[in-house]
Amino acid sequence: MSDTKPFDINILRTKGEKSLYPDKPKIGISMASCGLAAGAEKILETIEEELKNLDLDWIITKTGCPGFCQKEPLLFYHAPGKEKIYFGELTEKKAKDLVKELSENTVDRDFATWKIMSDVTIEDKTLFISEETEIEDVPLYQDYAFFEKQYKIALRNCGFIDPQSIEEYIAKGGYAALQKALKMKPEKIIDSIKKSGLRGRGGGGFPTGLKWELCSKVDSDIKYIICNADEGDPGAYMDRSILEGDPHSIIEGMLIGAFGIGASEGYIYVRAEYPLAIELLDIAILQARENGFLGENILDSGFNFDIQLAHGAGAFVCGEETALIASIEGRPVEPRIRPPFPSESGLWEKPTNINNVETWANVPPIILKGHDWYSSLGTETSKGTKVFSLVGKINNTGLVEVPMGITLREIIYDVGGGIIDNKKFKAIQTGGPSGGCLPESYIDLPVDYESLKEAGSIMGSGGMIVLDEDTCMVDLAKFFIDFTRDESCGKCVSCRDGLDACHEILEKITDGKAVLEDLVYLEELGQSIVDFSMCGLGTTAPNPVLTTLRYFKDEYISHIENKECSAKVCKALITYEIIKDNCVGCQACARLCPENAIEGKKDKVHKINQELCIKCGVCFDTCRYDAILIRSGDK
Amino acid sequence: MVKITINDQEYDIEEGKTILEAAQAMGLEIPTLCYHKALSPYGACRLCTVEIELNGQTMYQASCQYIVEEGMNIQTESERVVNGRKKMIELLLARAPEAEDILDLAYKYGVKETRFTKEFEDVCILCGLCIRVCNERMGFKAIEFVNRGIERKVSLPFEDFHEVCRTCGSCSTYCPTDAKAVQLENLTKYTPRPILSEFDQGLANRPAVYTPFPQAVPKIPVIDRDNCIHFQTGDCKICQDVCEPDAIDYEQEDEIVEREVGAIIVTTGFDTFDPNRLPQYGYGKYPNVITSLEFERISSASGPTEGEFFFPGVEEIKSAAILHCIGSRDENTNRYCSRLCCMNALKAANLIRDKLPDSHVYEFYIDIRAAGKGYEEYYQKMLRSDIRIIRGKVAEITNIPDLPEDEGRLTVVAEDTLLGAILRVPVDLVILMVGIEPKKDARELAHILHLPCTEEGFYNEKHPKLAPTETVVEGIHVAGACQFPKDVPDSVAQGESAAAAVLSKIARGEYITEPTKAEIEDDHCSGCRNCIGLCPYLAISFDEEKEIAKIDSALCQGCGVCVASCPSGAIIHKGYTDKQIFAEIEGVLER
Repeated sequence: MSDTKPFDINILRTKGEKSLYPDKPKIGISMASCGLAAGAEKILETIEEELKNLDLDWIITKTGCPGFCQKEPLLFYHAPGKEKIYFGELTEKKAKDLVKELSENTVDRDFATWKIMSDVTIEDKTLFISEETEIEDVPLYQDYAFFEKQYKIALRNCGFIDPQSIEEYIAKGGYAALQKALKMKPEKIIDSIKKSGLRGRGGGGFPTGLKWELCSKVDSDIKYIICNADEGDPGAYMDRSILEGDPHSIIEGMLIGAFGIGASEGYIYVRAEYPLAIELLDIAILQARENGFLGENILDSGFNFDIQLAHGAGAFVCGEETALIASIEGRPVEPRIRPPFPSESGLWEKPTNINNVETWANVPPIILKGHDWYSSLGTETSKGTKVFSLVGKINNTGLVEVPMGITLREIIYDVGGGIIDNKKFKAIQTGGPSGGCLPESYIDLPVDYESLKEAGSIMGSGGMIVLDEDTCMVDLAKFFIDFTRDESCGKCVSCRDGLDACHEILEKITDGKAVLEDLVYLEELGQSIVDFSMCGLGTTAPNPVLTTLRYFKDEYISHIENKECSAKVCKALITYEIIKDNCVGCQACARLCPENAIEGKKDKVHKINQELCIKCGVCFDTCRYDAILIRSGDK
Repeated sequence: MVKITINDQEYDIEEGKTILEAAQAMGLEIPTLCYHKALSPYGACRLCTVEIELNGQTMYQASCQYIVEEGMNIQTESERVVNGRKKMIELLLARAPEAEDILDLAYKYGVKETRFTKEFEDVCILCGLCIRVCNERMGFKAIEFVNRGIERKVSLPFEDFHEVCRTCGSCSTYCPTDAKAVQLENLTKYTPRPILSEFDQGLANRPAVYTPFPQAVPKIPVIDRDNCIHFQTGDCKICQDVCEPDAIDYEQEDEIVEREVGAIIVTTGFDTFDPNRLPQYGYGKYPNVITSLEFERISSASGPTEGEFFFPGVEEIKSAAILHCIGSRDENTNRYCSRLCCMNALKAANLIRDKLPDSHVYEFYIDIRAAGKGYEEYYQKMLRSDIRIIRGKVAEITNIPDLPEDEGRLTVVAEDTLLGAILRVPVDLVILMVGIEPKKDARELAHILHLPCTEEGFYNEKHPKLAPTETVVEGIHVAGACQFPKDVPDSVAQGESAAAAVLSKIARGEYITEPTKAEIEDDHCSGCRNCIGLCPYLAISFDEEKEIAKIDSALCQGCGVCVASCPSGAIIHKGYTDKQIFAEIEGVLER
């Protein structure tokens, strides 16, 4: 198609600009997986119906996720010449009312969350600017606490554009970097990426430019480019958000990389658990092909490159690059030893360059705005920004993109808005299931590759789980070990059986059956798994155990010696009791107890039969009089 | 060449070698379980992990897979490495607590027990040797790992029997822990056909590369082409990779060697009587009816059971019957006595009583032949023991018990001819003292060598007393059981005698023969060749040049057949010419 159809990027851009900022009021609903999970589908239906009812000729568009998951379902309203206002935490009723109020200009301020007064592309082109304000007192996007310290590069378009529209992507400065790159010498591109200081965002942190250079220098008839979109860390969804919100940025990044390296074929290895991402990528690839960005003789430069999708089948270990290659080739997924590195012998034994989604998304802005701009962000060794998925016991959960070097405190308290219910911060778990837990004493740690590693954790792909005093660190370590032992491919004894043995000891501890010697064994075993495993999964999997042992050893000891779980999580170590003074004998707990373990007549103090109690906690959650006490050890 | 340091010693190593290969070439030991020289390194057991210092960075890598690099400083037994290895051994012990290789490593590294308490269904340690040998060497993918993590196991495609498996058994051969996963019955619906060891009487299996028997001369392994995978499919070739001196040659062919010799000693031995010919004894029908040779292998310390008394189909031996004269002294089979079975049977009884003192042993004999040095004394000693020596030939062996408690045992039915009573003895094991027979191809050889045989096919000596090792064919001697049943001492004596007889001829340097030989008068021979076919000693050949018959006087035994048959009267018998005969007659008449 691309051969026959003459394209003009300017036409596409104009079309995109019109579609982004039409001359009619526009509603954009964030319909990424997070939005859909929160009920965006229903909101969309409601709004469509209401528009019909009110006979309003507004435009509705589906966007990706702007990052603030806490506020989903989320939509923006933008009337020509006015500011763009975001409304969050919608319900069907709220949405229905909102349309009506918007049309009548009677919107309640409390409804709106933040507003955007202007839109400037990465090429510094202003798409719209508004002086007028429809609703007063709505905080500006850049002043809004959640966004204030963020700096969006990889997520630049997420939530702003329709991921199904190549035109909107181009209007936001998309494919301009490709145009620029195709006019550069390939070595220059690699040099620029090298100088930018961009490092692999998938977890390893290997300098991207160096990786490209290694691959470019290998002589081969065919080279491959792979985008690793097998994001498997529990609670982390940075890549999904980009895939669902801005798929073209990945394609463009890969195109630039392929041109720099000299590759002609590309794969996006995306996990099958991301159906929406797959659907949107399929559309994006098709659009790119139709418009001459993929295929032969791209933009008349003589450069050929095309991308195929490869679907993962659900193994976490496929995120490891050699296992990923095995998966694409149709072999059993097992990492293999490196060297040879994929840059020498990768997919079908050809030189292959693998980068993660976020890394690819960072490439176009670097090429467009220059490496100096990128390297001015971040720290000495870690440049640019990093997307984190901030979850756990935190007020503002969501995806945040912050410059490297920002402290954990800033992320937790400024961006994240602090701990839920103002509870005490206990630890933060970074780097996904293979990461480590850092205690409060590290809260001022700057977030960069080296600092995190030194503290015993890792950057990983960017998971950040905030833990408060109600989290039992032993239980948490057990959770992560349970995950990694399930996801271990099973090749290395150390990882396969070692993690199971770790889990066994952790279970013993949380069951109150462990002795102090078990801790010594656990620590030694963890270290041996790190030393003796082959791939990144095994060598990092014991991190949650090792870091919690390092920073929270007292908690382990109190589990063992005092049979006490201070967070009152480990069921074997807690008992539910009724505080006689508080119990009013309402029987609420007794009615809900699934085991009928609570005895007590009406208006009389109840009693929990410990033999029957399964420690489900229903009574505790039900009691309105604080009459249920969870006891662990002496407390 | 790259320069590396292993355990503070510098070495120059060929480029491209792994650390393990380098260390092994230097005689350093690094423990491994999943490594095999003939297979690609896999790195599953992690035991070969070593500490590598390179460019100021320390890393831990499996030495079986990691290629040497210039300047590597390798420690194979650093504290952290040893600690890690101990942990790996502990983990492996939990999977295969009785595997010898792992127990050896545990002993070496001082691991007394495992703290990993998980129980596993199989003793498989997932080293992948079976999968790699199947895939890389046998050219198939009949087995693979399935599932992941702790659930990983070795299994068949879709976990079901599949035609891909050729039941070659290489997977189970390579398994270090005897895992169930690669037992052939779990891999194929077909009954695998093991290669049975000929020497062990089919009681044990043998590989396709094997030394035929322990005292083989030369003691060199041979490849059984009919069963070797390489000769079937072209794959495998593992033996070639493993053989250090590079001695495997698949091109070698059988060859026929021709040697010109002055004397031959025929010592071709014997076959044993096939007890299937006597179906009443149930051989082949009941697994616990065995032959004397099978018993011999089982009781041998170098046998398939290493001398332990494990008999097929028997759990416990409470009593055993030994049947003499199976295929000997019998009108229906062989009428002669095989001579050695009586003593062999007594020895067998003694061995059983020795190993199983609580068992009862019954001997059923016709007559005891204990003619030999010390034999009678041995027999008398046995008579005084509690071995029951019963005179009477066994009528049949049956598995129909007389008493319900003997269900599953065998009953020996025989007549005690001394008591005149019919006996029905329940036993757990029956040993058939099979007789000695000429080799199956004895007559074929006799034909080639022109040796006269007995009716049964044993080779005849020239004279029982005067020439017990010679045959009527000059230069051919016999020794051992091919002449007639003999025990070992007798065979050795005859063999030595035959060797001495041959040696004395060689040492003398000249050859003394009877003067009575046939001779051809060249002028009278018509070249009809009648005599050639008639000569029993292959002494006559045809001279193509002169077109007449020619007699080798060294071979001629002077029997006179040719003389009598020659139509031209061209052959004369030295010492018995017509002239001499007539002269003799005249001399007699003159008196």
